[in-house]
Amino acid sequence: MAKLDVELTVNGEKYNLKVGSQERLLDTIRKQLKLTGTKEGCSVGECGACTVILDDKAVNSCMVLTAQVDGSQIITVEGLESKGGLHPLQKAFIEKQAIQCGFCTPGMLMSALALIKENPQPSKEEIKTALEGNLCRCTGYQQIIEAVEAAAEEWGV
Amino acid sequence: MKKSPMKLESSQTISGVDFENYFQPGSLKEALEIKAEYGRDITIAAGTTDLFVAYYERLHTIKNWLDLSKIDELKYIKFSEKNVKIGAMTTHLALKESEELKGKFPVLQAAAADVGSPQIRSRGTIGGNIATSSPSGDLLTPLLSYQARFKLETAGKSRWAAAEEFFTGPKQNIMGPKEILTEIEVPLPKNDSSGYWIKIGRRKALVISTLNFSLVLEFNKEKISRAGLAMGSAAPTPVRLKKIEEMLVGKSLDELDHRKLGEEVKKQIAPIDDVRGTKEYREDVAFETMINALEDIESRRG
Repeated sequence: MAKLDVELTVNGEKYNLKVGSQERLLDTIRKQLKLTGTKEGCSVGECGACTVILDDKAVNSCMVLTAQVDGSQIITVEGLESKGGLHPLQKAFIEKQAIQCGFCTPGMLMSALALIKENPQPSKEEIKTALEGNLCRCTGYQQIIEAVEAAAEEWGV
Repeated sequence: MKKSPMKLESSQTISGVDFENYFQPGSLKEALEIKAEYGRDITIAAGTTDLFVAYYERLHTIKNWLDLSKIDELKYIKFSEKNVKIGAMTTHLALKESEELKGKFPVLQAAAADVGSPQIRSRGTIGGNIATSSPSGDLLTPLLSYQARFKLETAGKSRWAAAEEFFTGPKQNIMGPKEILTEIEVPLPKNDSSGYWIKIGRRKALVISTLNFSLVLEFNKEKISRAGLAMGSAAPTPVRLKKIEEMLVGKSLDELDHRKLGEEVKKQIAPIDDVRGTKEYREDVAFETMINALEDIESRRG
């Protein structure tokens, strides 16, 4: 079958792509767009390492066909940093030492961003719920939760 | 053979074999026509949160896809005086966030909030949860308790199926090859009603239920006028426990023997041993859960 034409806006830039019909959004992001900040962990929606923001919602990019999201807006971890430097969430993760190996971090950042965009002043419980789909196996969740709290306090869109 | 967890690269990549056909209709009418033509040879994609797990590393074995994600006419929550109608492509997230659902169907809403994770809830749909028909599907027990019915459509025809007649076995249901599940209708409970929902699993999030439980009681004065009790992961399908419901109706809460009802629940279910728990564990938890549910409802009603 011929490739499918899709138009995606990723981190504010518009892309017209040809994708295979079984191509996952994760594959498109990593292999076509070469945005390798988004990680592949479990591949079955259990770890959240591949989390991106799709039309304002956190999703597992390993469970979405790119063809399904033609016309959508996507934010990946690369979309956080700007000319002004690191994003407040990234700064808070560094300050609170919320990174050890870093593999879960891009997904954590995306889940946190989706939360703060919708709810600028989340409670601790709301932060925990927002991050419940992201597994971390080395840093420990406490610092990550504190980092999101700090970022929300400082920045809270 | 079990795959090494340290695999270097997923085989589900852009270089894989492509599907023969990928359909993404913008209307239900078109979707029904495509389904009529392909029957069982086409796989419906709703939120794909179950599908991608079931077909891990073998997505290419699905030849034809019918993607319903662009059909906006299947995404709604509409209340009337008698019932709520929910479009099959409504996400768990939309159910979780609906203010009206919170007041009228708290048990269904609590179940939607307990599905998977935020990432799963923003993609997964009520229609997909029903059509997948897993014995552990979290929305299925509340839908049984609330006595929902499902609209099954083919090109030119439709029929309604009661939730309790829909599920026929693990991941099996009564849907025909040309049918698409399009709508869920749930009658409004009486104003005076109370409910209880719990999902038992190894952890709180991202877990398939070891057991799930929903109870909805309607009251007339202080007597129970209707009871809806259902459990998931307790039998080959999600089950409504009608015999227990009958034991509840006509009584007031303080007339109920909680332990006896718990024992009866144990007798009425048919759980199995699996990776998430043993038969014995599930029976014991079902017993305790029934008691906890009645105590909780009693304490909230004062």
